[in-house]
Amino acid sequence: MNEQSARFSHGLVAALPVALGYFPIAFSFGVAASRAGFSVLEATGFSLIIYSGAAQFLAIALIAGGAPLLVSAFTLVAMGLRHLAYGPALMAAAGQTRIKRAWIWAFGLTDEVFGAALGEMARGRRFSEAFMFGLGLASYASWVIGTLIGALAGGGALAAFPAVEAGLGFMLPALFLALLLSILSRAQMPVIAVAAVVTILVTLAVSATSGILAGMLAGALAGAVRRRA
Amino acid sequence: MRTDYLLLALVVGASVWAFRTMPFRFDMSRLSPEGWLSRLLSATGPAAITALFVVSVMPLLGGGQAVPFWAGTLSVIGIWFWRRSVVLATLTGALVYGLAFAI
Repeated sequence: MNEQSARFSHGLVAALPVALGYFPIAFSFGVAASRAGFSVLEATGFSLIIYSGAAQFLAIALIAGGAPLLVSAFTLVAMGLRHLAYGPALMAAAGQTRIKRAWIWAFGLTDEVFGAALGEMARGRRFSEAFMFGLGLASYASWVIGTLIGALAGGGALAAFPAVEAGLGFMLPALFLALLLSILSRAQMPVIAVAAVVTILVTLAVSATSGILAGMLAGALAGAVRRRA
Repeated sequence: MRTDYLLLALVVGASVWAFRTMPFRFDMSRLSPEGWLSRLLSATGPAAITALFVVSVMPLLGGGQAVPFWAGTLSVIGIWFWRRSVVLATLTGALVYGLAFAI
C-alpha cells in the first residue's frame, strides 16, 4: 500500500466515531423529511447535495411552514457562513497554506469532520489531503445512507415508539445547542443575546420564519457594530 | 424531485460548498479582524444558530414538555463541556430527552 492509500485508510478509520454518530441523526432527518412530504429521492438528494445537517433540518421546517423559496434560500445560505472559519483554522493547525485539492475534499468539511481533523492533528497526525478525503468520504457515506434508510422507513416508522419519536424530535434543538456551544465565545455573547431576544419577540408577534430571519439579521448587525472592549 | 426543492438544494449546496472550500483558495487572513465585514461574517453564524435554537425550543417549552426539555438541554451542555463533541452531545441530549419523555 503506498503512502497516499495508507493516509486515506487512516482517514476512513478516524471517521468511524463521526460516521457512527451521523447515522442516527441522518436517519432522523430521513424520517422527518418523509413526514414533511418529501419523497425518498428528495430526502436523499438533500443529503447528497447540501450535506449540512442543521441546514437540511431547517430546510424541511421552512418548506413545511410554507416559507417562500427565496426566504428559505437566504436563511439557509446565511447560516452556512460559519463554515468560512474552518478553512483558515485548519490551515493554521496544519501549518501550511498550499493545499491543492480542497475544492473536492473540503465539501465534506462539516462541523464534526473539522473537529475530528483538528483532534487528530492535536494528537500528532500530520495533515494530508488523502487523510481528509478518507475522513470526509466515510462521514458523507454514513450521512447519505442514514438518510436513505430513514426516508425508506417513512414518516410513520416510529409511531409505535413515542419515546423514540420524542427523542428524535429533540435531535434538532440538541444539534443547534451543541453547534452554538461549539462556536461560543465571550465576544459573541452580545450577538447571541440580541439574536435570542429579537427571535422570541418576532416569532411571538409574527411567525417562526420571520423570527429566524429577524433574529439572525439583528444578531449579525449587533456583531458588525460592536466596538472592541 | 420537485423543481423548487432541487433548486433550493442546489443553491444551498453550492453555497455550503463555497463557504467550506473558498478559504483554501483565497487568503481570508487579509480581511482585517476588526473590520466591519469580518465582524458581520463572524457574527452571522452564531446569530443564525441562536435564532434556530430559540425557534426549535419554543414549541417544546409551550407544549408541557418542560422536564424532558431541561433534562435533554442540560445533557447537551454537560456532554459538550465534557467531550467537546457536537455529535456525542446531540445524541446524548436526544437519548435523555426520550428517556425523560418515557418516564
